[in-house]
Amino acid sequence: MPGILIIEDDTDLREMLKVSFARRKYTILEAGNGKDAITHFKPGITDLVVTDLIMPEEDGLKVIMKLREIKPDIKIIAISGGGKAGPGSYLNVAKALGADAIYSKPFSVNEMILKIEELLKIEQ
Amino acid sequence: MAVGKIPPDDDFISFLAKDKSFADQIIDNSRSMISIINRDYIYEKVNIPFCKSQKTVADAILGRTLADVWGEETFKKHIKQNIDRCFSGDTVKYEATFTTPCAGQRFYEVVFRPFTVDSGKISHLLAETFDITDIKMSEKIATEKEEEFRRIEQMLEDRLLQAQKLETIGSLAGGLAHDFNNILATISGYSELLQEDMAKSSSSFQKVKKIQIAVSKARSLVNQMLTFSRQVEQEKVIVKVNDVLKETIGFIKSAAPGNVTVRSRIPKKNAPVYADPTQLFRIFLNLLTNAIQALEEQKGTISVSLSCQSGKKVQARLDKKIVADEYALITITDTGKGMDPSLLRRIFEPFFTTREVGKGSGMGLSVVYGIVTEIGGEVLVSSVKGKGSVFYVYLPLTSGTNGSSNEPGSRKKILFIMGNRHESNILSLALESAGYELTKCPVIKDLAKVMSGLDVSPDLVIYMTDAGSVSAEEFMRLLKAEKNTIQCILIDDPEVDFNEEKFVNSGIKCQHLMKPVSLKEIKSAIHMSLR
Repeated sequence: MPGILIIEDDTDLREMLKVSFARRKYTILEAGNGKDAITHFKPGITDLVVTDLIMPEEDGLKVIMKLREIKPDIKIIAISGGGKAGPGSYLNVAKALGADAIYSKPFSVNEMILKIEELLKIEQ
Repeated sequence: MAVGKIPPDDDFISFLAKDKSFADQIIDNSRSMISIINRDYIYEKVNIPFCKSQKTVADAILGRTLADVWGEETFKKHIKQNIDRCFSGDTVKYEATFTTPCAGQRFYEVVFRPFTVDSGKISHLLAETFDITDIKMSEKIATEKEEEFRRIEQMLEDRLLQAQKLETIGSLAGGLAHDFNNILATISGYSELLQEDMAKSSSSFQKVKKIQIAVSKARSLVNQMLTFSRQVEQEKVIVKVNDVLKETIGFIKSAAPGNVTVRSRIPKKNAPVYADPTQLFRIFLNLLTNAIQALEEQKGTISVSLSCQSGKKVQARLDKKIVADEYALITITDTGKGMDPSLLRRIFEPFFTTREVGKGSGMGLSVVYGIVTEIGGEVLVSSVKGKGSVFYVYLPLTSGTNGSSNEPGSRKKILFIMGNRHESNILSLALESAGYELTKCPVIKDLAKVMSGLDVSPDLVIYMTDAGSVSAEEFMRLLKAEKNTIQCILIDDPEVDFNEEKFVNSGIKCQHLMKPVSLKEIKSAIHMSLR
């Protein structure tokens, strides 16, 4: 079963993503901030990461860079809801750093799941 | 003769008497009007400047009374009391305006000095009248300049305070928007999860759909908040402000009620700026719509003008660091109800509205502020209660051109089924500037004809639903395409009844956007479709 790591500081949103993904037979891993995500990262069972960009502790952009360092072929989806630098620019930086897909909140979770399937299919 | 020292006032007449022709020379060469008046208010002597001002010779004045020369009313009102005071022994000095046949109405300083001829009694007075009009005028100009300076200073101070305040509100709004988007993402996600457990035809499914519509409305509001706080990145191209203005004015003229006269002065000269044409359209539309509302259904005029201003001039006016050598200045004037200063200070704040609850979000002008500031421009307003308002939009001009070869859109062929002419023209402007190759279909019934004129089939179809409604089957037939071979972006107008669900569910590969669409949104939709 492919593993998905959800990094999101908003617990409600993280829960929602967990419930949505769980229906599709994925192993779900969670982290409430970037620092925890990196410290407890399990490259062996994580195939894809959905990460928020603006979070306390380590922010999403650094997370993307570090995860790529640890596991170069990991698939990454970045999500952002705007804030200091705005969803547009943050997401574009994420894209430039190698995120495979980017979404502005609020997004369609079904669309994201289709994307996840597509990304993981190419993987296998 | 040798010129001696000037004698004191009291001896003046004896000095005159001693050497009459010399005295005459002096007084005739004076720039003041000089006269000698006796106790019967009769002129006994006048100099040449006096005669000149009356456009006559001395003989025509000597022996006449002041009332005769200046008019009974002027004499009684302004002159007599001063002369009487002088005859009682005072030197009298005053300022007044007089009308003379030579110079018309001028400002004068008048000095009456008493003197005695021989008996020791004051028998005459010496009147000297200086023209101080020029001094008065320059004083007046100086005062006006000073007032103007104070006013500008005040305006700049207000603007600085306002900018700081808006900056604070902006960062608050930005933080709020971030949290709000998290909440909306949660609502929207669960609503999709709910729908998975429901039959599409069930009424519950439709109710959940309503939740999603509400989420998309909230999203658009949050997006406006982010636009205000300049946290939405704009997709910019080089576009002529004059083109955007012309379309906006065309749009507003077709939509404006009968009480409104729209006048415009848009020079043919190109004014290129680096901005998103759809966002420019939005700010002009917001300002014009506000202008119409300011008329409150009364007869009135809205004037729009465009001019180019040098950076120096703009710097002097705005007192801020300029970012371009030249600026476009767009002025939108209405003859509406106007605003008082307390209102004026707050109009760019988000959610600030004078309209009733539910009749306007109060976001319009804050969005204008956000967009204009983001592209390095400035928006100012001046207003007089009861007379109307003027909005000034300064936009920095650019000298660059759109590079077509390195644009991501280059060589992508798009068939554009146009809705409202003006809105569609703006979107065309934006897409073409971004490097896409457009084939335009102005009316949907001409779709077959347009298609038959194409050598290669388009990569993508953009369909504005206010172009008119067709069924998915008809659409496919007109495009001569199979359902799964064509990529489509629907731009939906909330005013138009279009069953986009049926369209999408028919199997056409279709993305769905809501008006108003920014260049960034449509570009990312195109990118999604064509990857």
